Amino acid sequence: MPSLSALIDNRPDEGIFRINRSLFDDPAIFELEMRHIFEGGWLFLGLESQAPGPHDYFTVNIGRVPALVMRDGDGVLRGFVNSCPHKGARIAPASCGHARQLICPYHSWSFDSAGRNRAIKWKQGGAYTEAFDADSHDLQPLPGFGVYRGFVFGSASADVPPLLDYLGETTKLLDLVADQSEEGVELVPGGVTFTYEGNWKLQLENCSDNYHFTSAHPSYIRLLERRKAAEVASGKSFTSSMESQRHWSGEDDEIVAGTYSFPFGHVLNFGIGAPTPASPLYDRADSLAQRLGTAKRDWIFNMRNLTIFPNLQVAENASSQLRVIEPISASRTRMRTWCIGPKGEGAAARRQRIRQYEDFFNPSGMATPDDTVAYEDCQRGFAGKVQPWLQGYARGMAMRRPGGNDLADRIDLKPDWSIAGNSRLCDETIYQSYYREWARRMAGVLAA
Amino acid sequence: MSAAVLTMLSRPEAEDLLFREARALDERRFADWLAMFTEDVLFWMPAWRDETRPTSDPDTELSLIYYEGRANLEDRVWRMGSGLSNASAIPARVSHLVGNVIVEPGEAGAAIVLSAFTAHHHDPRTDRSHVFFGHYRHVFRPDGDGRWLIAAKTITLMNDCIPTVADLYML
Repeated sequence: MPSLSALIDNRPDEGIFRINRSLFDDPAIFELEMRHIFEGGWLFLGLESQAPGPHDYFTVNIGRVPALVMRDGDGVLRGFVNSCPHKGARIAPASCGHARQLICPYHSWSFDSAGRNRAIKWKQGGAYTEAFDADSHDLQPLPGFGVYRGFVFGSASADVPPLLDYLGETTKLLDLVADQSEEGVELVPGGVTFTYEGNWKLQLENCSDNYHFTSAHPSYIRLLERRKAAEVASGKSFTSSMESQRHWSGEDDEIVAGTYSFPFGHVLNFGIGAPTPASPLYDRADSLAQRLGTAKRDWIFNMRNLTIFPNLQVAENASSQLRVIEPISASRTRMRTWCIGPKGEGAAARRQRIRQYEDFFNPSGMATPDDTVAYEDCQRGFAGKVQPWLQGYARGMAMRRPGGNDLADRIDLKPDWSIAGNSRLCDETIYQSYYREWARRMAGVLAA
Repeated sequence: MSAAVLTMLSRPEAEDLLFREARALDERRFADWLAMFTEDVLFWMPAWRDETRPTSDPDTELSLIYYEGRANLEDRVWRMGSGLSNASAIPARVSHLVGNVIVEPGEAGAAIVLSAFTAHHHDPRTDRSHVFFGHYRHVFRPDGDGRWLIAAKTITLMNDCIPTVADLYML
């Protein structure tokens, strides 16, 4: 295996940060990522609203580990390995459901919604040994499990920091999502899943990438202009909250965008926005300010793309998207995506949120395919290792500074690193945070 | 002529319309395709709530595609040919098959046409082939000139895990 320094060329004193293309297409490295990142630490599992009532459950993957998130009769939410202790079959094959008792479809071992074994079919007469009886037959609890403001996290490894330590300052950014309603956040019914033939880290980076917007999405930008004109004529087309935002224009010289980096690989990129009638939250602008203060309200109306390393992205720009990244192989990734919105949202606002979402975020829409096709071109290009080092991590290096800035101070946010600048800055040092965490997870696995 | 329009759309006539729509997409004759729709067309591809239920209320649930009005389809066609969309630069080669056609009476002289479809596509950019399949539900409305126009089209996509791209002409 290559050494860490052969994969990540991190020499800040010399102004150098480069990534080796092998990090994106080497199957042996992918195997290490699954073991030490996806199965070796905290992952986002879903929203609590996916199992709203007693005995509700939903199923997810933690790397390759099938997991079950289930609420018992008293309302306590727990996480389990979704696999029968008997022969290993998945106890809950469906994506979600409601059951007081889960019965294994293979040999009918049964479990209550707290994961306790209730019955082993024909236990008497089974000629079991005392050693078998002494063993637990309950569902295996996930070694790590926790919920923050409705965001459910789990870990297939016990060797993780407490969840709140892992999330750290980013809890304040999850608050900006959860606080949009006094009741919290919910998934809009209907999930969309797509795959692309590229490495999972391409999606990780793209969410944080302000640089690609005018290059990859000019057709979407021009369509907003077309629709603006058509709207006047017909009243049938719809506007987008992206129209009023200037962080991607390339024209503004004042501070309109920036990035924050946090421990454990979490990052935020943002663009300055303001309430406009096209925003689904527009009608709430005043009440949000009253309840949360103007600083938090203003931050809620900023474009915000948050990554909780390694698999959760909350993108609040054209609409609000919750993305879960599921790596399949070094060169294949599955994305599970949902529209999210504040509980109790008005009908017109919810409709506007959904329409903007479909147009921008769906793989059947008008923006995401222009990204995923580019990822696939990157993946093909990564094979060209004549010069293995990628140059996509350098923008902003001469400007990055430790700690936060005025904008962060307004919501008492304390990042490790920050950058703020004009719309052409398009910081790329934000990705360095992903790879510093990647290197931390691989310390002791790969030689330095 | 108007008396003939008010009669029920026959199955051969319905099939002819569906086949011509599919052929227009396969041959990328998008102007001809757009001309088959009413100006107020409702074009809808639901998402799935779970393993068995597609979403049913576009105002409160997510769809894969939902458009009210042909202008939105014109936007999509414009984007495909704009030269500004990376995903549209090298289009997939597509072949639709439409069958199992059933015609039922709709409201106010409209006809509801149910069918099954497969849409094979080959992406020369990556040398990958895939097939989308599912059901169509068309509502055809007579336009007064003896033509039947698509007033609503619902695509229920069965294999909704989408490999990279699902643009209108591939469905």
